[in-house]
Amino acid sequence: MSVKTMEPNTTEARAAEPKTVSCEAPAASAQAGKNAAARRAGRTRGTAIAMLLALLAFSAAYIFWGRDRLPAGEILQVLSGQQVPGTSFIIMDDRLPRLAVGALAGAGLGISGALFQRWLGNPLASPDVIGVGYGSSAAAVLAMLVLGYTDWRANVFSLAGGLLVAAVIYWLSASGKRTGSRLILAGLAIGAMLQALIQYLLSRAEINAAADAFRWLTGSIASSTWEQASILGLGLGVLSAFVLPLVLRQLKLLELGDDTAAALGLNVSRARVLLVFLAVAMGALPIAVTGPLAFIAFLAGPITAALTRGGINILLAGLTGATLVVVANFFAANLFADISLPVGVITGAFGAPFLIWVLVRANSTGNGG
Amino acid sequence: MATLQASELTLAYDKVTIVDELSLDIPTGEVSIVVGANGCGKSTLLRALSRLLKPAGGKVLLDGSDIHSKPAKEVAKTLGLLPQSPNAPDGITVRELISRGRYPHQGLFKRFSAEDEAAVNRAMELTGTTILAERSVDELSGGQRQRVWIAMALAQETDLLLLDEPTTFLDVAHQLEVLDVVSELNRTRGITVVIVLHDLNLAARYADYLVALKDGKIYAAGHPNEVVTEKTVKAVFGMPSRVIPDPVAGTPLVLPIGRHRVLRTEAVLAERGIFRGEAPVNEPQALSEGLDQESAVIEAEVAAIEKAVEEADQNTPRPAREHLQTLAFSTTVLRSQQLSPSFRRLTLGGKDLEDFGTNSHPLDMRIKLLLPPAGGFGVSKEIASLRPDALTSPADQLGWYQRWLAIDTDKRGYMRTYTVRAFREAGHRDNLGDTPELDIDFVLHGEVVDGKLQGGPATEFGDQAKEGDSLLLLGPNKALSDASYGGIEFRPGAASRIVLAGDETAAPAICAILESLPANVTGHALIEVPETTDILGTTTRSGISVQWLTRGSAEHGSLLQDAVRRTVAIPAAGVVQTNAEPEDVDVDANILWETGQAQSAPFYAWIAGEAGTVKEIRRYLVREAGVDRKQVAFMGYWRRGKTEN
Repeated sequence: MSVKTMEPNTTEARAAEPKTVSCEAPAASAQAGKNAAARRAGRTRGTAIAMLLALLAFSAAYIFWGRDRLPAGEILQVLSGQQVPGTSFIIMDDRLPRLAVGALAGAGLGISGALFQRWLGNPLASPDVIGVGYGSSAAAVLAMLVLGYTDWRANVFSLAGGLLVAAVIYWLSASGKRTGSRLILAGLAIGAMLQALIQYLLSRAEINAAADAFRWLTGSIASSTWEQASILGLGLGVLSAFVLPLVLRQLKLLELGDDTAAALGLNVSRARVLLVFLAVAMGALPIAVTGPLAFIAFLAGPITAALTRGGINILLAGLTGATLVVVANFFAANLFADISLPVGVITGAFGAPFLIWVLVRANSTGNGG
Repeated sequence: MATLQASELTLAYDKVTIVDELSLDIPTGEVSIVVGANGCGKSTLLRALSRLLKPAGGKVLLDGSDIHSKPAKEVAKTLGLLPQSPNAPDGITVRELISRGRYPHQGLFKRFSAEDEAAVNRAMELTGTTILAERSVDELSGGQRQRVWIAMALAQETDLLLLDEPTTFLDVAHQLEVLDVVSELNRTRGITVVIVLHDLNLAARYADYLVALKDGKIYAAGHPNEVVTEKTVKAVFGMPSRVIPDPVAGTPLVLPIGRHRVLRTEAVLAERGIFRGEAPVNEPQALSEGLDQESAVIEAEVAAIEKAVEEADQNTPRPAREHLQTLAFSTTVLRSQQLSPSFRRLTLGGKDLEDFGTNSHPLDMRIKLLLPPAGGFGVSKEIASLRPDALTSPADQLGWYQRWLAIDTDKRGYMRTYTVRAFREAGHRDNLGDTPELDIDFVLHGEVVDGKLQGGPATEFGDQAKEGDSLLLLGPNKALSDASYGGIEFRPGAASRIVLAGDETAAPAICAILESLPANVTGHALIEVPETTDILGTTTRSGISVQWLTRGSAEHGSLLQDAVRRTVAIPAAGVVQTNAEPEDVDVDANILWETGQAQSAPFYAWIAGEAGTVKEIRRYLVREAGVDRKQVAFMGYWRRGKTEN
């Protein structure tokens, strides 16, 4: 004998459910939401201001303070446009171009890395990890040692090398798919090959040229000139003004996954190619001038994410990259009393532990390579 | 409203054909759900429908023109897609994510406008995500996150919304949450929805139009009630199952039959010495096929006899048993047993009964009792000539019933239709006599006047019958009858879910049906009787749950109608497939007698009893619950306030 069957449930009864589920104290929750949003915006602003202040402080410290200290009065005179023999040269032809190139290179690398990281949703996917940086380096070394180019043509080679390697890695990692881990593995393999190529080129070069190239490979802004600064500024400026806004807009869709992006009306393959081009170019241009400044591209994005406790903000990552190079430059110049280190040594020394930290953290959250 | 069609669509990845020349019209303004086994091509189909995949052949037509001839951004204004596993960027807030759904409506220089803002707010309101707006998507539960993604697709403000397995990785409550949101959107905003889903039961519940894919082809498409059958489930998912109406929504509910569990149950029962019927549980068809074969043999025999009879001279008198399908059997009352205040079982026996039967279950034996008139009994010659041994010719028998009807009722008595509850041959272990015997349950409904029950002739006879009383009955000639002999019109066909409903007059028939049903049938038997004591013991090896309703002071039939409504619930809003109002039958003037036809639907209902009640139930089942009339037998046995002739 069966008892009464269940009352037929109504759609209204079921439909009401989700509302009640999410209705715990709506007012308070909405208020909390507003506050959270305000806090988040505040954190982004705060981080930007802090970065800017650090950039200015370390720039000033580098100019005014540290080894080979110059009289502050003379420096101010130079900065206000007067000629002071000796001091003028040191400031105008050494320290200031060095800061300009460093900041620009850092910004370019920071943006480059952050674009890759956000697109692939993986902090390990920065150009210096996935081998694009090695492509630029190898091409630049080739241009310098074999062809003897040291001007803008080295930049073009560096850019071409980066793009070529990016294309190869992209193809190796099954093109269309958004496969961060395969891309990273393919990049590591290509990177190792390119390092071998660089070693080979160095071993074949004249000793003087090889020494120059070697110092360049460590990443140095010591020989910066205004010419280099202007090439870099112009290149990065044009990219930032004309390509970056479009890519940022498309990145907002690309990072939702290819299908979602396509469903929202984005031409995914075109957008992807444009993004890779921009990211490689933003990284390759600085590399041709300063050499591969280790870990700047890799560090800038995750640092901004950690400070803002949100996602990676591309422009903020650029600012962070600039600050990192300027700070590293200060320490490179002043850490040891008797010797001035290439800035790449400092970024490498401090970047490596951060890479390990990211790896460990990525493993525990499951989005590693 | 936008329309979406697939026309001879062939889809392939790397030359491997996934979907093969498939044509499909997505019904506009409805919820279509695509189901199928893993790898059947359902997600691929959805990708092609949403322009993500270029077909190898055929076309997808959006508003009548090839979807690939339109720019992606144009398509994105009409058609939204939520892919299977969209990617939420780290740290993004709900509002930010939903805002990205506005991309197709923004130009390179046209930034986020007030219109965009309004669309985002609407989308959040509809999906109940407004209060989550400023939270980070990472912190949300699976169901909340999926609602946020749906909100993003909604912010796109398209006429069409395609969702690829939106319930994957969600627990059951969140699955419902998501599907409820989607179907609400469909109902309130008329959005055409296409969902790929792998939960067949949820699909049946939420779909207006269900498409079952098998190996890249449409196996079945239509209303869930038509598509979800045991056959389809077996073919599409390769899984034996039972399909019953969902007690909550009235839509088909698939119960998978896992080998392990069934085997264990059988093993446990066997250990206790209980063996259930041989009917293989997983193959509902097998039983009826077996019966068909058996009855085919019988049919052949019967046909041979009939042929011989036809060939014989029509005027030569021969024993009735040789040529009459219906014989009159003289019996005596062997026992009278009061089953309950309203039911009395008479056991009748006699030598004549050796010729009685249909060579099948007594269920198929509807017989006529010749009840004696008040002043005693004179057997008419019409009836006498129907006795098995009576010598009569086929020509003599023409028109006997009309001649019998013409006799005054005081002399001929009354003829009433009854159901044989049990038939026991001589020698049956429960038959102690030396002639065959049968049981008939009399329904006693009438009023007690001066200590005597007054009602119809059958009621009075049943009440007063004593051992030794004689009774004539008309029934099937065993030699010439088979299962097709006018039974109680129970023709379930291939149905595996059955609803039996009736009042006390139908109770004997229902009990007989229950005893005959094989183990693989499920459903409900609803029997309304006057009092608790009228509840009879019933046995069935089927999965039918029997529910006795005691009327008490309630109006006749009201409990039964309510119970039928509960058992065959109105399908959830939107899945009703209403037929037209059945044509009216004046139950006071005519007999309501609609027997279902042979059919292959998984559901069958058998409704009998008081004509007014049956008529009401008929109206409910056909008009409101949307049951096909072929699937139901409706029989008005009697009419309140009216006696038969």
